[in-house]
Amino acid sequence: MRKPVSHALQRCLLLTALAILSLPCQAVAQEKTPPPPKLKVGDVAPDFKLQYFTGSDLKDVTLNDYKGKKNIVLAFYIFAFTGG
Amino acid sequence: MKHFQQNLQKLEAADTQVLGVSMDSPFANKAFADSIGVTFPLLSDWGGEVTHNYGLYVDKYKAARRVNFLIGKDGKILEEQIDNEAIDPTKIVAACERHKLKN
Repeated sequence: MRKPVSHALQRCLLLTALAILSLPCQAVAQEKTPPPPKLKVGDVAPDFKLQYFTGSDLKDVTLNDYKGKKNIVLAFYIFAFTGG
Repeated sequence: MKHFQQNLQKLEAADTQVLGVSMDSPFANKAFADSIGVTFPLLSDWGGEVTHNYGLYVDKYKAARRVNFLIGKDGKILEEQIDNEAIDPTKIVAACERHKLKN
């Protein structure tokens, strides 16, 4: 008759298997939820000076240009010619 | 960017200027704007200095993360949308309209 595997050994094997299986899941979860940006609601937005092409020349835009005049939506996107 | 274009009238009526930002060249961004019918400026952060300053540079794809900031007239951040949440700007549009009513 085969000797039954002890309960302690069974539990140990099960826990090891679970630990191994959960490793890739943790890695995926971390990749999907990177930490939020350091700038939070209520913070002062850092000033910037950037250019855009009007079709005939390059024009400077700074955040300061709009201070006290207009709200700004600053929409960072990943690459031109991609969705969103 | 298309979604902001679709809401541009509402945003402008709420005293809000929309500015897109990416690390593409100004000329690529102009071509992109024309191809999707965007009429607001798409600014070029060539080199990524502003993207870094805002803490949005993603090493993996050498570009900015998708994030929308609504910045008030006092220069403070009023609203923030991150990653996939930033594709649909409804929250920003609603926030602009709320602030317009307040002021």
